[in-house]
Amino acid sequence: MASITLPHEARQAAEVIRRADIVIGIPSYNNGRTIGRVVQAAYAGLAKYFPQFTSVVINSDGGSTDNTREAVLSARLEDQHLLLLNTPLFAAHRLSFPYHGVPGKGSAFRLIFQLAAKLEAKAVAVVDSDLRSITPEWFDLLLRPVLFAGYDFVAPYYHRHKYDGTITNSIVYPLTRALYGYRVRQPIGGEFGLSTRLINRYLQRDDWETDVARFGIDIWMTTIALAEGFRVCQSFLGAKLHDAKDPSSDLTAMLEQVVGSVLMLMQEYESVWWDREGSRPVELFGFRYDVGLDPIEVNVERMLAAFVRGCRDLGEIWAVALEPETYAGIQALGRQAAAGARDFHLDDELWARVVLDFACAYNRHRVAGGHLIRSLTPLYLARVASFVIETRTLVPDQVEDKIEQLCLVFERLKPYLKAHWDGPSRRNRASRKPESAAVPKPDSEVPRHD
Amino acid sequence: MINTLREILEAAVDRLHHQVTTYLPSTLAAIILLLVAYVLAAAARWLIYRVFKGMTIDRFLRQSGVAFLLDRSGRLRATRLVAETAYWAILIGGLLIAVSAFDTQLTNQMVEGFVLLLPKLVVAGLILLAGAWLSQYLGRSLLVWAVNENLPSPRRLAAALRIIIMFVAVVVAADQLSFARNVFLAAFIILVGGAVLAVSLAVGIAGSQGLRRLIEEKKEQRDSEGERSLWTHL
Repeated sequence: MASITLPHEARQAAEVIRRADIVIGIPSYNNGRTIGRVVQAAYAGLAKYFPQFTSVVINSDGGSTDNTREAVLSARLEDQHLLLLNTPLFAAHRLSFPYHGVPGKGSAFRLIFQLAAKLEAKAVAVVDSDLRSITPEWFDLLLRPVLFAGYDFVAPYYHRHKYDGTITNSIVYPLTRALYGYRVRQPIGGEFGLSTRLINRYLQRDDWETDVARFGIDIWMTTIALAEGFRVCQSFLGAKLHDAKDPSSDLTAMLEQVVGSVLMLMQEYESVWWDREGSRPVELFGFRYDVGLDPIEVNVERMLAAFVRGCRDLGEIWAVALEPETYAGIQALGRQAAAGARDFHLDDELWARVVLDFACAYNRHRVAGGHLIRSLTPLYLARVASFVIETRTLVPDQVEDKIEQLCLVFERLKPYLKAHWDGPSRRNRASRKPESAAVPKPDSEVPRHD
Repeated sequence: MINTLREILEAAVDRLHHQVTTYLPSTLAAIILLLVAYVLAAAARWLIYRVFKGMTIDRFLRQSGVAFLLDRSGRLRATRLVAETAYWAILIGGLLIAVSAFDTQLTNQMVEGFVLLLPKLVVAGLILLAGAWLSQYLGRSLLVWAVNENLPSPRRLAAALRIIIMFVAVVVAADQLSFARNVFLAAFIILVGGAVLAVSLAVGIAGSQGLRRLIEEKKEQRDSEGERSLWTHL
């Protein structure tokens, strides 16, 4: 395992607490407005559902300039008698530390995982600090499958607005599903339940300083769990409503970190995904119910303008990254968008080819990785615009059907991916058998890590 | 009359004999050396193609982007690079030895001059290669950033940056070769000075309003993103 380099104050706190069965991790950066409620929910969840366990709530902060850490340390559980029927045997500890290193969610998680390993926790749950819809039940749903059913990784399953989570819906979910063969609907959801075994595996790895340190952490965790055969399930958490997003957060950087992590892991786990075909559902826990969601405004014109700009100026990169037919299709769409077509439509097949071509170009180093992924932004915005236009009048179930159709296109195009992955000189590899593909059997229950 | 004619003919034959005996062996030796060098170069290239796999260098060439810089198809392989380098090195070496076989002041000066120039040529070539790589890399970085940030004329910005970087590389390479050093240096100073002046004037006179408009647009964009900030891509 990689050496544990906990900050001095964290090490001291761990020595005082010594052991904890459950660790709840909350990364934060200027979330003073919402984090208090998240901590309260964590306390209530621990007291209500796990009174027999020792537990600790850890806030790993990225240097907030508001009152985030104070809000964590001062949050109190009010009206306890309304929530609890039994008294917890142990009071939950509460810690808040600034993390060091590359600023980002991944670095915050690393500190939480290191502390969890030090405290020999049996289960860890991590949740975002900007959640408005979090309830104590979330912790039960994230931790129980790990503590009592032997699962290693619990992914969230939410109801989200049809325009929310567009990187998930248009790239990460379809691609992850087509590659690894499991339908984890929210692979970068942000809330996860984890076993000690999986935490130790994460800490063994040496790629914490890459995009994983930032927004890449969620897909990194999910992919490792899926590719290395850990037991994976999903828990239905209801609605995901979060606080107003930081306006300074940059879409291109976010896209680069998430997609960069997906592609980096695609290279690493090539032998795992190579021979997997189709996909299968993953166990889903929790009672599913319908919820109301906040309305979301999306500016389609601005997205299409970005796409037209990309078509006009990024040809030198796209022409190298995309296969000629794909590039021709994109150029034709660019002309259509420039002419102000109201029925702009980037179809599933073309979009899937764009994503797969970018993956192959990344693998073959046809363009520097950073340039390549950053140049995806206008194409991604075109896809989102097309999706918004297409689903304007659709209800959530119909939208979900559209996403399902896109996933099936990705799965169908897997032979195309394999044929272009290594370039023309090595295309004969498409027909070879992988050395160590852990192919999931259709009738097997869940992936196992043996 | 006949004697004079005979003397002239004898002198001509003597000169021809002298020239033949002086230069023919050297010429023959030079031709043989060139042929040997060609055979050796071709053999070395063939051998390297056969034996040398160069997987690590191949990876380096692809990952650094040099492969695509030298060969737009990106199919440049280390084996080819090493084999071609060896081929031309042996061939040029053979040519130098062949020329030196004449052993005249002129050929000796030529060989000496070339040998002294060779390291500088190699360094200058590497400087140009590095300049080309850097100009492409930074040009693309600027291009993608400018497109995503909605800046005006991204391609022109990138092209200007590429030209500046390549020009600096050419100046440094010329300085390395001591070739028209003052001309290049003066041109460089004039260009940089002129560019700075032009940018200052453009920003000062005409660009300030445009810059203000751009900043305001960016601010408006950010503000409107803040309004619909419940939308998250992740």
